[in-house]
Formats: sequence, C-alpha cells, structure tokens
Amino acid sequence: MGTSLFTARHGKRVGEDEQGNVYYLAKDGKRRWVIYNGVADASRVPPQWHRWLHRTTDDLPEEQAITPKPWEKPHLPNLTGTQEAYRPAGSLHSGGKRPAATGDYEAWTP
Amino acid sequence: MCIMVARSRLPSKFDGESPSVGRCNREEPMPKLTIDGKEIEVAPGSTVLQACEEAGAEIPRFCYHERLSIAGNCRMCLVEMERSPKPIASCAMPAGDGMVIHTNTPQVKKAREGVLEFLLINHPLDCPICDQGGECDLQDETMAYGRGKNRFDENKRAVTEKNMGPLVKTIMTRCIHCTRCIRFSEEVAGTTELGAIYRGENMQITTFLEQAMESELQGNVIDLCPVGALTSKPYAFNARPWELAKTESIDVMDAVGSNIRIDTRGRQVMRILPRNHDDVNEEWISDKTRFAYDGLLKSRLDRPYVKKDGTLVEASWVEAFAAINTGLAGLDGTQIAGLVGDLNELEGMYAFRELLKGLGATRIEARQSGAAYDVSNRASYLFNSGIAGIEEADFCLLVGTNPRHEATIVNARILKSTRHRGLKVSNIGPAHDLTYPVEQAGDDAAILADILAGKHSLADRLQAAKRPMIIVGEGALARQDGAHILKAVHDIAETFGLITEDWNGFNVLPTAASRVGALDLGLVAPGGVRGILDDAKAGTVKAAFLLGVDEIDSSALQDCFTVYIGSHGDHGVRHADVVLPAAAYTEKSGLYINMEGRVQMGERANFPPGDAREDWTIFRALSDVLGKTLPFDSFDALRAALYKELPHLMDIDSLPKAAWGDFGEPGDIARGPIALPIHDFYQTNPIARASDTMAECSALKRSKGEATGTHG
Repeated sequence: MGTSLFTARHGKRVGEDEQGNVYYLAKDGKRRWVIYNGVADASRVPPQWHRWLHRTTDDLPEEQAITPKPWEKPHLPNLTGTQEAYRPAGSLHSGGKRPAATGDYEAWTP
Repeated sequence: MCIMVARSRLPSKFDGESPSVGRCNREEPMPKLTIDGKEIEVAPGSTVLQACEEAGAEIPRFCYHERLSIAGNCRMCLVEMERSPKPIASCAMPAGDGMVIHTNTPQVKKAREGVLEFLLINHPLDCPICDQGGECDLQDETMAYGRGKNRFDENKRAVTEKNMGPLVKTIMTRCIHCTRCIRFSEEVAGTTELGAIYRGENMQITTFLEQAMESELQGNVIDLCPVGALTSKPYAFNARPWELAKTESIDVMDAVGSNIRIDTRGRQVMRILPRNHDDVNEEWISDKTRFAYDGLLKSRLDRPYVKKDGTLVEASWVEAFAAINTGLAGLDGTQIAGLVGDLNELEGMYAFRELLKGLGATRIEARQSGAAYDVSNRASYLFNSGIAGIEEADFCLLVGTNPRHEATIVNARILKSTRHRGLKVSNIGPAHDLTYPVEQAGDDAAILADILAGKHSLADRLQAAKRPMIIVGEGALARQDGAHILKAVHDIAETFGLITEDWNGFNVLPTAASRVGALDLGLVAPGGVRGILDDAKAGTVKAAFLLGVDEIDSSALQDCFTVYIGSHGDHGVRHADVVLPAAAYTEKSGLYINMEGRVQMGERANFPPGDAREDWTIFRALSDVLGKTLPFDSFDALRAALYKELPHLMDIDSLPKAAWGDFGEPGDIARGPIALPIHDFYQTNPIARASDTMAECSALKRSKGEATGTHG
C-alpha cells in the first residue's frame, strides 16, 4: 500500500520484463525499484534488469548492446524449496531410484 | 615404415630365461664381485643387476623383468663400475670375476636422474586420472630420481590409441618403450601378437593391424606394464589401489589352483591379480581367472526358492528346508544321489558328503565331466610330474587334451620348456594351435594301444627320452572306454620308463578346481554321472542333490526331486525343486587341491549376497531339520574333522609324491577321434557364463573363427 502510493507519487515507469515485473525510476533519478508481478522474490529479476536495478549500468535492457547467446537459457527464479527444484539422480523425491553403487548385484529370478 | 620387433641385444647365452641367482652350476666358477664395498659370490651367468639385488642394493628398472629376456633399453639400472669410463646398464652386463660396482655414488644418481628426465620428456602428467596411479613404477622412481622441474619446453609426443580388444585398455601416450609386453607375448604367451613400429621416440607398441589380442594370457601385460599405458579395460576408472582391501586366495576357474589376490571395495570384488608362486602359476594368471569377476554380480542366487505348482517361488530358509524334508520323506538311501560341481572347496564337499551319508545315500559323484578317474590310487588322477616338473621333461605326449584351454598356465609352462629346455611335444587328439610346435600323431585313441605294442613311432620317442611325460586330458578319459585308456596310459608309463625313483611322467589334466579334492574325498559312484542320470530317468533315483552342478544335462532330473545348492542361476537350477543360495569362491574360506595334489588355502574376500550362506553352514542347518545333525558347529570343528580323515590336508602348499600302483581297467580301445571337454574357453563355468567380459571375449573369438575360417 505504502509502496504503491510512493510509486504513484515519485515513480516513473521505465519498463517491464517478460515476467511482467514493472521497473520504476524515481523522478529525481535517485532510486530504482521493481513492483513484482506476483510473489515478491528478488531472484525473479532477469540479469539484464538486474544490472540496471543495481546501478551497474544506466542503460535500460533494450538499450544495452548485449545479444543473448544461442546457448543461454531463459531466466528462471531460484526454485529451491519448490516442486520444480533440482533433484540429483537418486533423490527420493525424483522416483527414489538410486544410482548403481559398489556391491550391487543382479539377483537371479526364475 | 620400419617394422622391428624388440629382441634381446645380448648374445644368445642371455636370450630367453634370465639366469637365476642361486642355481649353481658346478663346472663354472662362481664370479666374485665387490658391490658397494661388499664382497659377494653369485652363480655363473648372473647379471650385475642380480648380483646387486643379492647384495641388498636396490636397482631401479623399467625394462628388466625376471621372467622375460633382457632388453636393456630403459637404461634406468645404470651403475658405476671401476675401470669403466661410463656407467653400465647392470641388467644387461654379465657379472664377471673381480668387478667392483658402486650403486650409490653421486655419478650413479646423476646418471639415473638424467635417464628419468629423458623418460619424462614424453610422459604425460596425467597421474591423477591414470589407473596406474598409486602402483606405478614410473611414479615411484620419479619420487626417488625425479628432478623438481621440467627443462623441456617442446610439445610432448602424442600417440594414437590402439585397439587391443575387450580386456586391455591402451593409453599409448604414456608408453615408455620398455618392450616388456612385446617380450611377454612372444616368450610367455607364445603368440607374437604385439610388436613395435617406427623407431626412436616415435616407436609405437601395437598389435598387428590393430587386431584384438587373442592370447588367453593377455591380461598379464597389464601387470607387466610399468606405467599406465596398458591397463585393465573392465577395471578402468573403477577404483584406486589404496582403497582396496586385498585378500590372498586361490583361483577356481581351472585345476591349476593359481594363486590370486582378490581386491575388494566394500562388498564388491573390484579386480583379481596374480600372486607369485614359482611352482604353480609363476606370476601369470589366465584371462578367465583375471576378468571373470564381474560374473560374481550377475544372476546371483540371493534367496531360497521352492517349486510350487510347477514354478519356483521365493521362500525363506525354513520353508525351503521344510520342503526338502517333505521331498525326502519315505525315500531310502539308494534312491538319493548327490552330485558335486567344479568350483567347490573341500569343506563344503565334506559337509555335503557327511549330510548325504547321514541320509544313507551311497551314490555321491564328483566326476561331472564323466572322466573315468580311479580313486583306488591317488597317482591315477594327479598331475604327478608337477607343474614345475614340466621344465625337467624332455618329451611330452598329450593325449586328448588342449592345455591351452584346459589349463592355460600349464600350457605356458610347456611353452617355456619347449623354448628353453628343448622339450618336444607330440599330440594324440584333435589338432590345435598350442602356441608351440606340436607333432601331430593323429586323432585316434587307439594309437595308445599301438604304442603299447611297440608298433608306433611314438614308442621309440618315449623310449629314447630321458624324462618323458604323458598328459592325459579329461577328453580322453570321458570316452566310453575311458577306463581302458587310463589303463593303457598306465601301462605305457610303466613300460617306457616314465616311472623312476625320482620321476613320475604320468599326468592327468583335470579341468575343474574341485576335482582332485573331491576324488581325495572319495566322491565317486559306480556308473558315474551317466549312471545316476540314467537311473533318474528310469525312476530308481528319486531325489538328487546338486552342489554347484551346472555342466550336466539336467533335463534327466525332471521327474526327480532335485535340490540345487549353488551361487548362480545357471543350467543346474532349471529343473530344481528347491534352490538354496550359496557363496561363490571369493565369499568363503576353503581348501583347494590343485591338479598336482597341492593343498592350498583360500581366504574369504567379501560376503555372499542377500540370504546366501557358505556351503557348509547350509548343510549343517539342513542336517538339523532332517534329524541327522552333523557333528560340527564351527568352521574350525569342520576342518578338524576333515583333517582327521585326510591328514595330508594339513600340509598346506607341499607337494607329496603319490605312490605308484595299479589302476584302470584292461580292455580294448575303440578307434576314433577324441572329443575335447572345453569348446569355449571363456564359458566353462557359471561365473564365467554370467560375466559380460567373458561373453564379449567369447563373441570376439567366435567372430574371428567365422571371419577367417581357415586357421585351426
């Protein structure tokens, strides 16, 4: 509530990323902030906006002369603790099949 | 392209087997040397290196190997000799009288450092990912003689990988050109498969046209290689030597009783290596011994099974024993038979026999191959000359055997003897490539009768030889007239002077590790395995116990109550009514008697899988259920009972001479060829059949046979 009031009074909308997060710049240019489209999670900010947000650069993503490499994957927020979190092979949460280990044998079956 | 095969650069005196210190020849005087101020006398024909070892000075070496000819090409063994302007290569220098040798002077150290620096110029620095790491000669010597840094700025030489088949992995960039593998394949394996192409720094060890190696001893080049150029393919990147538990044991793949070291990590056998035993396997083992261990993890019996409504279903030990109890109800001893397989230790066979005797069974049979062994005389089923004795013989007659497949290590001994002691070999039976020259007498067992009658040229050969020997294979003894053949060979041995005070040239070559032990325990029944199977078909044998029996046609046991005790689900379980899981050979301690009659002890290296138990504990527990409790509660008590019956088992690793006597059955020998017992070297027992590595070797061998179709 306080943030939206502050944003309405001082903020100047500068852009929106593919997730729908909206970025604002203070009218005096001293503050930069983001209003999340959904859960407020700092890891949802993609790297191009992250640079701008943290004042690494003043250029907005569309002004930055960085073309994504073909092998770059789309940005994902930190999935730790969620269903989509990475599970190593053999984890109980991904089927419970453990990898082969020393001493494993194949039993004979009739 | 220059092709050269490394040969000894020394005069013929040093070609071949290197002279051993200690074997004294009285005609030549013993040379006296001074080594590091210590005077020492060595046997004539020794090298300076051997003299130094005798004097307690350690000499680094890469190319020199006690059992191979001398190459002298690594130059690591340099020592200083007085009145010599340069350091000398001690492995290639014959020890002479009055030599003064220094092994620990600054000049020697500097010379060795120089040699090592040259070796390391082209050796990659990949020790962290090298399978030889931790047991590498070059690593060890570099600790002692390596300079701290590299003065060589050029690129290292790179060598393309070679394909040597499914057993030997090559990383030829690591090769330091010691040529041990070439010398081994030529001199010990007898198959000139390895050679070197190009020269100098660019020399490359390779098989001819990059074919896979075919020798049954090829695994030994892995041990011989002082660096990581030749390593084990199945073991590649699996373990490090320092994380393995090492257990000394005895091999069961053939009747040689090769001394092996079983390396385990946790519950799993990671690899098998040879142990040195000069009188048995020297330091070689066959590929089946070395590489069949992955079969220990495949198709294992890990729980008891009981047949219900025609199919085997999982059961507990109690249920399985109860099923046996009901199955045997109402049967008397003559209707129960016991068969013993090929891979069993004495303790298990003894407990098996005692259990069946308790049940009143009279027919317990261990001659699975059907060979007509005669247990009335121990000499009739032993390799009486001894494996080391082959080197004393000057004429060898093979009868219905292919030692290359039936006992690879014995074949290597015969090869060694033909090369260095002038042994001549003749063969009665199918012709084979035995890796040494063999005079083929014909594939007809009746030649034996001709020899006995003095009508065959082999009779003169036997008569003329000073120390003749005959090796009879199970192929000959398993014929219908096997007992007659045994008698004929016995008579030939007596007639042609094979039996003297200090020499017994009568040899039998059993194919199974448990055979001699089982015969010592008297596990024979009239009629043999054939008789039991026929009676089972006819219905007079109503219950059969199979202790690891997989090489018979078990369909004869279809209508009979069959209990299978063993480690692998193989041919034997096919018609079993109760299956009891037992330990494989690495999973139990035990005594084994090899073909010579040598008693050897194997130690347990790992534990049997699942619910499987050691054989003797199964029989002890079962005897309780059947109400015929066996009189031993511990392994020690069992051994004590066994020792009481067979006191010669207490002499571990000694070789007593078996008394000569009369054996065999007189009778006619039918004309006709002899069938050999082993058709596929790599698939002779349940462990080897379960092994993927062995299956690969077997497939390779078969495809080669088809591809050429012309060689023997």
